[in-house]
Amino acid sequence: MTSEPTPKYTRLDICRRFVTSVRHSVELGIDVTDADEQRVRALMPWQEKLVGNPDTGVLHGGAVFAFLDQVGGLAVAARVYPEFEITPTIDFRLDHLRAPAKGKNVVGVAECYRLSEHVAFVRLSAFEEGQEDEPVATGLATYMRMKIPSENYFRKSKA
Amino acid sequence: MSDPLKTLIAACRSGEQPYQALVERVPYAQFLGIRIEARGEELTFVLPKADSNLGNPTLPALHGGAVAGFMEQAALIFLLLEMGEPRLPKTIDFTIDYLRAGLFKDTFVECRVTRLGRRVGNVNIEAWQTRRDEPIAIARAHFLLSDDSSQP
Repeated sequence: MTSEPTPKYTRLDICRRFVTSVRHSVELGIDVTDADEQRVRALMPWQEKLVGNPDTGVLHGGAVFAFLDQVGGLAVAARVYPEFEITPTIDFRLDHLRAPAKGKNVVGVAECYRLSEHVAFVRLSAFEEGQEDEPVATGLATYMRMKIPSENYFRKSKA
Repeated sequence: MSDPLKTLIAACRSGEQPYQALVERVPYAQFLGIRIEARGEELTFVLPKADSNLGNPTLPALHGGAVAGFMEQAALIFLLLEMGEPRLPKTIDFTIDYLRAGLFKDTFVECRVTRLGRRVGNVNIEAWQTRRDEPIAIARAHFLLSDDSSQP
């Protein structure tokens, strides 16, 4: 009788461990709130150091971009779970629909809508927390799939 | 656009202020650690290697998002200085192709304005580390050029 071993970590665990291992994402304050096969949702708190317009306190487009780039990678990780892959971004287009208000946390949602053998296709959007029907940004990205054992990745990351 | 910014740009052009002052007024640009090196009015944008911009810890490699943020901010400052009468650029869209891993090294950016219209500017941006003809990423972005900083 054969059966798949029960994965040690849930999708949410994997996403959170991944963010912890990425220094820039820790700096952005990314908190993964939900992770299932279809989508990942995370939060980036408003921080003074991420402001792009000092006159208005609006977050820099680059900060929203970096946040969503990370959430997109997590969506691929959640989709391939319980396998583990490193997924460098191939390309990413982000449209800034409106400016997120000063002091508002930003929610990022990413959905991996197609997984081919080597490439993952991801849709992304960002909202102000509590205003999830009016996106501040929407994007499309592709990620390369590079399969490695997760033990290797996390062990090396501690060195 | 705010008058203090117009005054600052004029001061940079006349040499009273270093161009770095344009970075220092933007918290996110300071967070990334962007440097501007100027030879006359020719600017080179530098992202010195920094632990806080790391992505993949095993290579180690820079976070693609940090590289993209650097490229977007470089383009914003570049476009701001291209305009005779500066108007505040706001990012409409930003599109990037990653060509090589951004290693844990200093990164440089070069910008080229493809089209500067009345309301929209289009900028091409290239980032490289080892050789200028081996870019790690290429990007293009559209910016809305507005006189009023309070309106999107």
